[in-house]
Formats: sequence, structure tokens, C-alpha cells
Amino acid sequence: MTRLRLGLLLLGLLAGGALAAPLLGLWLGHDSGAPDLFNRYAAPSAAHPLGTDDLGRDLLTRLLEGARVSLAVGIATALAAALIGTAAGILAAWRGGFVEALIMRLADGLLALPALPLLVVLAAVDPAVIGLPRGEAVSDMARIIIILTLFGWVGVARLARAAALSVLARDHIRAARALGVTEARLLRRHVLPALAAPVSVATALAVAGAILAESTLSFLGLGIAPPAPSWGNMLANAQELVFSAPMAAVWPGLAILAAVAGCTLVADGLRAR
Amino acid sequence: MAGAALILRRLAQIAITLAILSFAAYMLIGLMPGDPIDLALIGDPRLTAGDAARLRALHGLDQPLLARYAAWAASVLRGEFGYSRLFAVPVADVLWPALRSSLALLGGALAIAATGGVALGVLAAARPRSAGFVDAIAVIGQAMPSFWLGILLIILFAVTLGWLPAGGSAEDGGSALRFLVLPVATLAIANVAAYARHTAAAMTATLTEPWIRTARAKGASRTRVLWRHAFPNAAVPILTLAALDAGALVSGAVVTETLFARPGMGKLIFDAIMGNDYNLALVALLLVALVTMLATLAADLAQRALDPRLA
Amino acid sequence: MAPALRLAAALLALAGPALAQPARDSLTIGITQYPSTFHPNIDAMVAKSYVAGFTLRPLTAYAPDWQPTCLFCETLPTIENGLAVRETAANGRPGLRLTYRLREGLRWGDGTPITGEDLRFAWEAGRNDATGFGAAEFYRSAYELIVVDARTITLRFDKVTFDFASVGDFKPLPAHVDRARWEADPRAYRTRTAYDTETTNPAIWNGPYRIAAVQPGAGVTLERNPLWGGAAPAFRRIQIRTVENTAALEAQLLAGQIDMIAGELGLPIDQAAALQRRTGDRFRFEYHPGLIYEHLDINHDHPALGDRRVRQALLMALDRAQIVARLFDGRQPVAHSSVNPLDPMHAEDVRQWPHDPARAAALLDEAGWRRGPDGIRRNAAGDRLSIELMTTAGNRSREQVQQVLQAQWRAAGIETRIRNEPPRVFFAETLSRRRFQGAALFAWISAPESVPRTTLHSDEIPRAERNWSGQNFGGYRNPELDALLEALPEELDPDERRQMFARLQAIYSRELPVLPLWFRSDAHIWPTWLEGVRPTGHLNPSTLWAEEWRVRP
Repeated sequence: MTRLRLGLLLLGLLAGGALAAPLLGLWLGHDSGAPDLFNRYAAPSAAHPLGTDDLGRDLLTRLLEGARVSLAVGIATALAAALIGTAAGILAAWRGGFVEALIMRLADGLLALPALPLLVVLAAVDPAVIGLPRGEAVSDMARIIIILTLFGWVGVARLARAAALSVLARDHIRAARALGVTEARLLRRHVLPALAAPVSVATALAVAGAILAESTLSFLGLGIAPPAPSWGNMLANAQELVFSAPMAAVWPGLAILAAVAGCTLVADGLRAR
Repeated sequence: MAGAALILRRLAQIAITLAILSFAAYMLIGLMPGDPIDLALIGDPRLTAGDAARLRALHGLDQPLLARYAAWAASVLRGEFGYSRLFAVPVADVLWPALRSSLALLGGALAIAATGGVALGVLAAARPRSAGFVDAIAVIGQAMPSFWLGILLIILFAVTLGWLPAGGSAEDGGSALRFLVLPVATLAIANVAAYARHTAAAMTATLTEPWIRTARAKGASRTRVLWRHAFPNAAVPILTLAALDAGALVSGAVVTETLFARPGMGKLIFDAIMGNDYNLALVALLLVALVTMLATLAADLAQRALDPRLA
Repeated sequence: MAPALRLAAALLALAGPALAQPARDSLTIGITQYPSTFHPNIDAMVAKSYVAGFTLRPLTAYAPDWQPTCLFCETLPTIENGLAVRETAANGRPGLRLTYRLREGLRWGDGTPITGEDLRFAWEAGRNDATGFGAAEFYRSAYELIVVDARTITLRFDKVTFDFASVGDFKPLPAHVDRARWEADPRAYRTRTAYDTETTNPAIWNGPYRIAAVQPGAGVTLERNPLWGGAAPAFRRIQIRTVENTAALEAQLLAGQIDMIAGELGLPIDQAAALQRRTGDRFRFEYHPGLIYEHLDINHDHPALGDRRVRQALLMALDRAQIVARLFDGRQPVAHSSVNPLDPMHAEDVRQWPHDPARAAALLDEAGWRRGPDGIRRNAAGDRLSIELMTTAGNRSREQVQQVLQAQWRAAGIETRIRNEPPRVFFAETLSRRRFQGAALFAWISAPESVPRTTLHSDEIPRAERNWSGQNFGGYRNPELDALLEALPEELDPDERRQMFARLQAIYSRELPVLPLWFRSDAHIWPTWLEGVRPTGHLNPSTLWAEEWRVRP
């Protein structure tokens, strides 16, 4: 339980900061997007509690705005993966036969594939091909969420199928079926609740994985394009001058560390319950 | 008997997956905007549009994508993997050195991660008071972006302390080991968490089984109970994890390889994809997928051998 | 960080005496790109020309002082010395006949003399489309090559240009090794050439060094070529290492694994300047301005940008001097036209547009763009003055600049929308198909005294019916400039040419067909004991004069 609380606390702080980012900008009296060339890599001060970045922008404000992007990518990916994965898992367990074979072979196939190289191929595909505008932060985010979901649903689907199978095999389910309870009600009242625990564990881990994957894609130049800040692109941007201005790299790194650790702790906590 | 049929069926599945993957990857690389000649145009300001059209026709890039895939697939089925467009040498000539480098890097890292992770996991299960410490290591190791960790290690051990090289590989028969320490450490730290967690979970579960208590009651020593009785039973999930990691042995680690300037499979695949080097990218991708699937198959068979209930 | 650095300095001071060898006979160079193939004429890339500078020499090159010079020839042909003769070409147009004589005693690394036959082989291979050499302009216009004797060739061109003497980077290829492979199948030559199948064969190299070993993806080892006839190079062995990540490259320099970082493929200025501030005099730094011209291409079909006053206002709203001072440590010259200040044809009195927000505002008011309630200017019809600014995604320096431009324009009442694309889309589709809406930030690379015909002439506006050839992406048209661009290349008299270049620069800086920003500089980082490296700043790398590199006594 303490792990769950610690994890929730970490994530709560980050999410609260992300939501408060505009307020902080107002309070400190500057706009995070405006470069100030006379103030590059400034040391921490009252106006800039964490100092400034390569264009003289306030690091703390950027970090909190980056939290919105990074957490949004992480949570959206995890939710999409959870949704698709749960649906696929239940469908496989409930229908069985050909549908099950199809879904599970697809899952096995995806699991056997080299994820990162394929992420690279997918990330480099022209967004215009799938109808997204090129070069906009939103379409970068959508692109990353889509490709991470493509790989993310598999883990959830396997867990969901296993859990659903064990529920469907129980005696009281067979009894309910014999009594003429509809399949829809059966799935809603008995199968779904049993899936809550394993799926929420997998979702928490998927958030962590998506945040890390976003930072890796940023390192490879395939992440979210500036000027929109994300933890990944802040970290990738700061590495060039890491010897002269190490703090510009340390803070986004710590933010990723905190977010991923928070998710992992939540997952552990949920699992232990 | 059932075993042989199973193996055959799985091998057939692997072949089908590879065929689908090759098609999908070829099409996806084709969907990337621009072709190799466009890339050359960026690199050489003297190239004119006329030169581009001439080179496109010469390399067959004016053919439709499906026709090019068909031609590629036909030559691969004949056993000809072709030349790398980027390096102008047969694909195998670029693949082998990269593969050797990645095997050394990831082999070292995963071996350390697996032994370290198993040791930590067993420790956490055997002495519950140390579980918090093991947890902290696992959580932090897993949560650090690998290039961030890599840069921190370089700053500390190569630049500040000067103990180890900042990257590159040995020349003139120098000790290759020194060059491996930092990149192996970077990857091992990131991978140790998974092994520690799985081992801890499996061992904790096993140690509550009644027959363990029986073994203890019979007077088996603590160490003996831990390693001879409990561990073999906990080994199944660890084996599965190791099998999944086997793919990483040949797919390399692009971030670590870039940061430590060690050309390996990760960097090679990345460059091949970004450089529209179809022959190289596809052969490398298929090799990685093949190794991963064979390893999974091997792990499944080993599991059956270890755990008769699955057979 | 400071205590840690002091500790590092102390440790290095301890290690120093042990590292210092009595005689330095090897040099390790860090670069950021790996030369993927070694054939000099297939796929141009900077890393390859950097390595080739040590190992293969062209007939002519631009010297570090930006003047054309002979490397393997005896005398540059001129009309005056009679080695260049005007004549009527085979196609009836005015042409030229040039005679080059190879220096005495030139040999391949296996002792075979370099002759006119090697030049003939290079020329024949280049003229055959099936060979797949890159840029073919030279091979198209040089329609005949006559081997006069073993050391003398005559080339006939079907056009007259003032820069005729510098024959591209035409270089001999080893006919005794590669001709048979090429003749067997020109299409397969690309993969069968000895440069890629027997890279360490001495017979294919002719510079002061030859390639002794290749570490794929990681580096190249060069050794002294014992048969080199020129001045003896100082180093027995040169190791070139590829480290693509510049933070890692800097780390390897600081850890003492590499001795120098080549300016041609080195650290960004910003990073180099920060390194210099931190390390003091541990290394020698030289920032050399070059011919890479960073600018904003403007879409002249844009309703506002087609107006000259708006372009002038856009430029005056920018504080380029301040951007260079802050982001590039003041090391890059602000550009006032496409002609580099170091170029012999640069005009001193070219018009400049210093930062002047008041004049910019006045010009915009005059052009009918007045401030609206939100601070953004609008015209009479109520349209906002809004510009889409694009550049190559992933180029950190350009992305930084872009955000500063956005802020400075915002202050002048101009809205800027940033939209970036990966280089492959940006160059291959958006620019060359003229699909950018406002301004595009990128660079041109040119040679000294180059005439910007392909980027400014109205015939060079890319069009579907011309297969999208040409690089006048903005669609600029100016008949006066067109006439000048046609006459300039054919003017052989340098004084006349200087006048024409001055007129070109006057028109350019008044009309602003593109908005000039600055010329990029290279940051060369050398060990204190190395001397004699002469940075060039153009396409011919400093390694073409590697035999002059010396260890400081």
C-alpha cells in the first residue's frame, strides 16, 4: 500500500504541476515561449527557480508544460492500449475458435517483432499519408500515440484473455448461462470486474513505457518537434551542451525518472492488493 | 510425437510471420517520403533534376513499389540478399561486423542484468527486509532514459575521473574490455529491473508452497532450500523473459550504440531505414524477428521440459 | 560542476607527462559522419571528401585562399598562357579547348605512373549514364577528351564559363585496376569497384596517405603512402574516428581519445565556444567562416511577401547581429547578400539592413499593414500579416533561430506559425515542388565566385512541366537580374565581372529575393602541438593540404 501511495503522490505532484503551468507563468510574470537571448543558461534565481534553457526560457515553466505533453502522450497511449487490449482479450476468451487464434497469433507476432526499429519506420512515415497535418505538435503527438498503441495493446490483451478465461470457466458462470442470463450481462457483471486489477496494472506500466519511448524517439530526432516542449525533446536538446549547462539536461531527466518510477510504484501497489 | 508436430507447426508460423513482416516493412519504408535519390540531392548541391531522373531510372526507383518488392522477394528466395545501397557492398559484409559488436555489447549487458537481477530477486524473496532496497534499485534502473544514464556515466567515469574511455572500440589489439564497461553498464542497469522483479515475484510465490515447508522441516539448509528446491521452480518466468531479450541481442541498442560510438545492429538498422537502404534494412529486420521467434520457441520447449503440467 | 572539473584538470595534469611521447607520429581526428562508400565519384558526402583529401587528389582545387590552383596539374590553363583557347564547339556554340599537363613523377600507391589514360577512364566512366556517378554537369559539357601524351590531355567544352580552369573535382581513377571491372558491366561498377571491394589496396590511392584499415561505421586508419612524390607528411599514421553524437564527440576529446575535431564535420559553434570557455588554452580553436549561406527563402506568390517593402521590413525587424552574438558566439558573419565577404567578388558597399524596428514599422504601415487590437498587423481587407516559417526538423540550431525570429517578428506585429518537416520531405517535396507558404529557413552551399543562377533566374522556378528542376523555390522574377545572370558566367574579364557582381549584389540587397541571415562557420579544434592546418570554408576540405600539417617543435 505504501508503494501505491508513494506512486500516486509522485504522479499527483507532476500532474498538479502540469495543470498549474499557466498559473506559474502568470505568477512568475513571463511567458514560457518567449526567448530571451541575454539570459541563456541562467543560474537559478527568484524569477527562474530552476534557471533558463538554451534560449533563455524559464526551465520550470517549460518543464511543467512539457509534463502536459509527455503525460498526455503516456496516458493517452496507455488508455488506448488498455481499451483495445481489453476488448481483444475478452473477445478472444469469449468467442474462442478462429477469432481467438487470429487475435492471439497477431499478438504473438507483434511481440516477436523488433519494436524499436519498427517504431523508427513508423515514426518516419509521412503523417500526410494518414491524413495528419505535417509538422504540428498535435500531429506529432497523435503519431507517437498511434504507433505506441500499436505495440502496447498486446500485453494488455494477453492478460485480459487469461483473466477472462479463468472467470468464464467458473461454475457460477456456467450456472448463470444455464439460467438464461444474457451474454452481454454476463460479460458486464462478471468478466469485466475481474479484469479491473490486471488491466489497471498493465495500464500503469504502459504509461511508463510510453513516456520512456517518447524520450527515445526524441533522441533519435523522431519525437515531438519544438517549439512545443516535451520532456523527451527538452532532454534531447540539452544534451549538446551537457558539459557546460548540465542542469538543463538533469531536470527533464529527473522528471522522466519521477514519472516512470511513479507509474511503476502504482503498478506494484495495485498488483500487491 | 506431439512435440515434433508442435515444432513443425511453430516453424511454419514463423515462416509466414517473416513473409508478412517483410512485405509490411518494405511497404512502410516505401511510404517514407522521398527516395534514396532525394537523399543524395540533399547531400550534393551540384546534382540537377536531370541527374536525379537518370539515377532513379538506373536504380530502378521509377518502378512501382509492388514491382520492386516482388523483385526483391524473388531474389531473396534465390538466396541473393543483394548489395547495401548505403555501403555499396554485399549486405552480409556490413551485417556481420555489426552483429559481432552487438553480440558483445548486449551479451555482456544481458548476462550481467540476468545474473544481477536473479541475485537481487532471490535476495528480496529470501530476506523480506531487503525488499525495499531491491525495489528501489529496480524502479530507478528502469525509470532512467538510457541516453541520460549513458551521458551521466560518461561525464563521471570518462571525463571527470578519466578511468574509462568515453566511447569507441579498441584498436591495435588493445583491451576491448575497457571500451565495453560503460556501454554494458548503461544497458545492464536498464535491464536488471525486469529480472529482479520477475525473480522476486516467482520466488516469493514458490517459498510459500507446502513442499518447501516440508523440505525445511526435513532439515534442509536455508541455502539449499532456496537454490535447490525453490529456484528451479521459479526459473520458468525468468526463462521466458530471457527468450524475449534474445531478440535484443541481434537488434542491438541504437541509443547506447550512438552515444558510445560503437557501430552495431541498432545503429545499422536505424541508418538503413533512414537511408532507404531496403536490402540492408529488411535483412536485418528479418534476422532480428527470426532470432526472437526461435528463442521464444526454444523457451516454450524448455518450459515444457521444466514444468510437466504444460506438456 | 566546477569542483569536478578541477578534479579532472588535476588528474589530467598527472596523466600529462606520461601521455607526452618524445615523438608524435600519429594523429587521431574525430568527425561526425562515416564515409559509407569510398569511391570518390559515387554519392558525394562531406566525410568522404574529407578522407579523400588525404588519399586522392583532383587535378585542381580551390586553395584555402579561395583561388583556383593546380594540385596534380602543372599550370592552370588561361587564355593568356595559351593553354585555354576559345573555339567553336561541335554543337556550333562558343566553346573552349583546355590543355592540362600532369605533374612529373605522379604515381599510384603501387608505383604505376598516373597518366592521361587514368583521366580518360574517369571521363569515360562519368559520361556513361549507366555508371551512376552523381553530378554529371562536367561530363556533359566536356564532350571530348584527347590524350596528347602520357602526361598531357586536352579537354573540349561546349560552353564558355569564367571558372573553366577549375574542372569540377575531376580526378584520375586507377585505370589499371578499375577499367576492366567497369568495362565488364558499367551498371555493376558501383558495387565492383576496387574502392569498395579492396579498399586497402595501395594501387587505388595517390595522396600522401593511403587507407590501411577500415572499421565499418567507426573509422578509417590511414598510413603514410611511401610512394607519394610531394612533401613528406609529418604523421606515420592518421586515425579518423566517427562519433555522430556531438556530446559524445566532445567527451572523447576531453577524455583524450581523439586529438582534434575536424571543422568540416565537427561541433556546432555554440558547443565549441562553450568548450573553449571551459577548457581555456588546453586546445586551439579556430572559427572559419565558410560558403554555407543560411537564409530565408520567401514565397513571392504570398500576398504580403511579394511586396518589396514587406521583405525589407521583415529583415529590419530582425536583430541578426544580436542573434549571431548570442547563439553563435559572434563567430558567424551576418550576410548582406549571397556573396560571402571572403569571396573575391564581394562588394564592400553592399546595402545593409541593420536592426531598426521604427523603420520596419513605418514600411509596414506604408505597405498597408496596420496594427490590429491584438498587436498583429492587418491590411485594409482585414487579413492578418501571418507567415508560415518552415525549416528542417531535427536541426537544433535552426530550430533555435526559428523561435527567435518568431519572437522578434511578433514584436513588429507579424504573426509567425512554425511548421517543420524532416529534411527528406522538406527538400524533396515541399521546397522543390514550391509547397511552402511563407518563408523557409535553410542553407545554400556554393563554390567561390559562384553565380546564383539556379536559385534566382526566372527560368529556374520549379515547374511540373520541367520535371521540377531548378532551385528558385520562391518564384522570384526580375528581368534585369535574369540578363545579368545569363551574361555573368560567360564574362572572362575579371574586372568586368567584378562590376557585374557588384550590380548583382546591389539588386539583391535592394530587392531581397531571399532574406540573407548569415554564413555558417566551422569550428576547428586542434591540439596545441599541431600546426599548419589551413581551414578552407568551401567544398575542398583542409585535408587536401595535409602534407603541410606539422608537429610544433
